[in-house]
Amino acid sequence: MTPIGRGRTVGIVNYQAGNIQSIENAFVYLGAQTCRVRAEADFAECTHVILPGVGAFGFCSERLQASGLVDSLRRWAFDDERPMLGICVGMQLLADRSEESPQARGLGWIGGVVQHIPAGGGIRVPHVGWNTVDFNRAYGEFPGGSAADFYFDHSFAYHDPRHGESVGSCTHGAQFTAIVQRDNITAVQFHPEKSQSAGMRFLAGFLRH
Amino acid sequence: MTSTRLKKRLIPKLLVKHRRVGSDVRPVLVTTRQFREVLDVGDPVSQAKIYEAQLADELAVLNIDGTPIGKDELLLGLIERLATETFMPLTVGGGVREVDDFALLLERGADKVCINQLAFQRPELISEAAARFGAQCVVVSIDFRTDAAGHALVHTGHAGVRENVDVVESAVRAAEAGAGEILLTDADRDGMGSGLNCRCASAVAAAVSVPVILSGGCGLAEHFVEGFREGCAEAVAAGTFFCFRDQNPMQTRAHIRNAGIPIRIET
Repeated sequence: MTPIGRGRTVGIVNYQAGNIQSIENAFVYLGAQTCRVRAEADFAECTHVILPGVGAFGFCSERLQASGLVDSLRRWAFDDERPMLGICVGMQLLADRSEESPQARGLGWIGGVVQHIPAGGGIRVPHVGWNTVDFNRAYGEFPGGSAADFYFDHSFAYHDPRHGESVGSCTHGAQFTAIVQRDNITAVQFHPEKSQSAGMRFLAGFLRH
Repeated sequence: MTSTRLKKRLIPKLLVKHRRVGSDVRPVLVTTRQFREVLDVGDPVSQAKIYEAQLADELAVLNIDGTPIGKDELLLGLIERLATETFMPLTVGGGVREVDDFALLLERGADKVCINQLAFQRPELISEAAARFGAQCVVVSIDFRTDAAGHALVHTGHAGVRENVDVVESAVRAAEAGAGEILLTDADRDGMGSGLNCRCASAVAAAVSVPVILSGGCGLAEHFVEGFREGCAEAVAAGTFFCFRDQNPMQTRAHIRNAGIPIRIET
């Protein structure tokens, strides 16, 4: 069987705020090539681009703005309409803003506000561990109506994407958007690169775009 | 009834020490009893792969030599290999001395960083790390022993020094400073297989709103059930239990699930 990643080059935006190594490892496992995107020119060799993000929203937003890569990323996602995947804070950065860092600006490409998950009544925050994602519609190998467990590690979540469609939802106290898609842009709150076989299946689905 | 489908976690602990093997020094997987007796088990990466196949929910890698991890290329290399060869969440601790160590560990593939003594010596580091990496990345590890009067007191260092610091109070302070999880380890029960300290865990869980990971004393599948049910832990971590277990780990998981605890059974 030909690995799904054969012939794909996945560029991971390197703005000093992501778990780049783990994401690279996952795509290498799927048979893809990977590269670290540090400058406009690096996009040329990519077939797919990942926007990672680990850290506070304000910290990541500042780093991303400072990287000088926002315009290139916008061209990639909107002018060229190429596949892009935001992971964790990389998803949250696509919102307008986040309660975590009210002064910081998001990219607004999905829009909406990232809100703190309320704790209490048996709900502990951060939301850490494996939780079930319900697929509201099909994505890759996951049919609409199916469910799978993915690994989450976050205190803030997306509720109201202004653009795009909630492909998967998850509940921890309140329901939130776990997977959102706007045309060629997909974003996930969980960590597919750490979600063992379900995560690999999810990333394989992204590579089919 | 709480509305979440978050699963309780089973976390194998990989305790690591530096050992001279022939002419090189390597990180070796060990187990301990009451933090004192140390038994060498083998290669941490092979063991991690077995755990992944057995559906471990997360791995905790702890450098029990406590050497400064940011300067320890052997350990950083080990984390990188673990992240390359397994696809599950990694919590790394032992010898974390400064905020920059978080960045180094995350770069090599760790997802969460665990701090212990540092958290008590310089609590402001919890807040600094949380502001930069998010609370979800910061795990504060509290080792404790129970005194003659039955009080759980923080145990710092390996020399058996006791300070009269209450475990619940330390956990509350750590959570206020920005810790995203509390890892509790009962040093008296460590490696004994006689059951977890659910009393201490439930007191901590009642006092903080962040998840509590309980460790020290698992010998039976039933001990995990007790840790979740009576200890109110979100996760149970174990070293010896997973290293030397004759029982099929899938049977252990089935036992826990049959007791009504929500855990993963398949991916």
